[in-house]
Amino acid sequence: MINVLIICSGGMSSAIVVNAIKTEAAKENIEINIKSIGTGEFTNEIENNWDLVLVAPQIRHRFDNLKMEAKEKDIPIELILPQNYSPLGGENLMEQIKKYL
Amino acid sequence: MEKLFQWLEKTIILPMARLSEQRHLKAIRNGIGYISPLIVVGSIFLIIAYPPIPKLAENMSLELVENILIPFRLTIGLMSLYTSFGIAYSLALSYQLDGIPCGILAMVSFIMATIPLDINERSFVSSMENFGGSGLFTAILISIFTVEAIRMLKTKGATIKMSKNTPDSVRKFYETLIPIGLVILIIWLVRIILGLDIQVFINKLFKPLVKVVNTLPGTLIIILLITLSWIAGIHGISVIGSIIRPIWLVLINENMLAFGKGTKYLPNIISEPFFQWFVLIGGSGATLGLVLLFLNSKSDYLKSLGKACIMPGIYNINEPIIFGAPIVLNPILGIPFVVGSIITGAISYLAMYFNIVRRPSIVAPWTLPAPIGAYLATAGDWRAIILVIINILITTAIYYPFFKAYEKQLLKEEQGKTVTK
Repeated sequence: MINVLIICSGGMSSAIVVNAIKTEAAKENIEINIKSIGTGEFTNEIENNWDLVLVAPQIRHRFDNLKMEAKEKDIPIELILPQNYSPLGGENLMEQIKKYL
Repeated sequence: MEKLFQWLEKTIILPMARLSEQRHLKAIRNGIGYISPLIVVGSIFLIIAYPPIPKLAENMSLELVENILIPFRLTIGLMSLYTSFGIAYSLALSYQLDGIPCGILAMVSFIMATIPLDINERSFVSSMENFGGSGLFTAILISIFTVEAIRMLKTKGATIKMSKNTPDSVRKFYETLIPIGLVILIIWLVRIILGLDIQVFINKLFKPLVKVVNTLPGTLIIILLITLSWIAGIHGISVIGSIIRPIWLVLINENMLAFGKGTKYLPNIISEPFFQWFVLIGGSGATLGLVLLFLNSKSDYLKSLGKACIMPGIYNINEPIIFGAPIVLNPILGIPFVVGSIITGAISYLAMYFNIVRRPSIVAPWTLPAPIGAYLATAGDWRAIILVIINILITTAIYYPFFKAYEKQLLKEEQGKTVTK
């Protein structure tokens, strides 16, 4: 079981990517708890036990700030590659997540 | 082309994105973010007070209209007061100061900076107008001043020193007294004793900027910056909004007040709803037209992407198509992405300039389908729906040749793949 948090600007577009990852995880029989949020909710949400934080490419200018907060909690944080941030990117995103299984 | 994109990204987009993450701008963004649900709810009362159905509107008494408007006046009508709390709260947290006391103090400071000088003679009555949109710039600057002053006084050690044995809560209480007292004293001196009308002064400073944002060139520059940001893969509205949103709020607020008085022609064309509903249809770059083209594409990839993106697109969520197609750093799809929005932006501006379509005065949630959003934003002008449909047709036509060129390129690659298989 892995807990993954995905952050975008308002938590809307990441919800679409979450669905793609869930479908892929089900296909590969991997247990995953995944949630999408907007940047504003990050400070509160990071308090919960996440194993990995993924950041949407369109807010990469906020990555350094988010990274500082994630580091304080010792949670790994990575950027999502632009080409994977789509409903068809589930497979590649799962590869990115699997490194932390 | 690629070099031009790289140059733009390095010299304009990334510095702008970094600016939008600046501590104070971020606090302003959060402060306004906290009250945005209030603005939507307040808008609903405004549209109920002046319903778009003429028969219904005619039969409503003036008293009923005024009563319906009370929630509007207490939400949007006092937005700067609420924002001052939110901005100071958010800024305080970024400095690891206590958020709530700073927020409350910012409200006190803001009210003090805004009340009339003869308030005693008027049995302590102040106009509510100063606490609404016209006070927004004052609220922003006063809240920032409040938190910065507290932070400075605390780090300089301007607090009452207590012995180590005092309980924490007691010490905390006394430590805050001097900074709070000094902030109140400073604003009291400037507003009450020196008699400077802080709000009038600040609004004069910002007036040229507000004016520029409401012009056609200003509008086109903003559309250019939003679309170019997205081509660089950066959230355009989020970045530009962090910088311009206070001005948009001031502008829409003037329209709301005028509309609330029953004015026929509203003063301002530009505010966030203008972009939301008439320009960024289906998301930035008006990609709804492109998604429609993808749905009928001969390329397997574009077709499956179109199917996956049509529903989010209707609700103005288009990251999947921007990153999936991709439009990011793609010279073929990048051109219509920018040009289409500029053209429809200019058409919509002119349509409202000549009052062919009513100017927006309502803030509706941004995930509504564009024709519905546009209808609500203009307080029920059916011509707004027509304008949106025209804009969708225009952007689709502009996308078409570029879509065809890109499709051809992808078809070649897809055929190559099946051959090698």
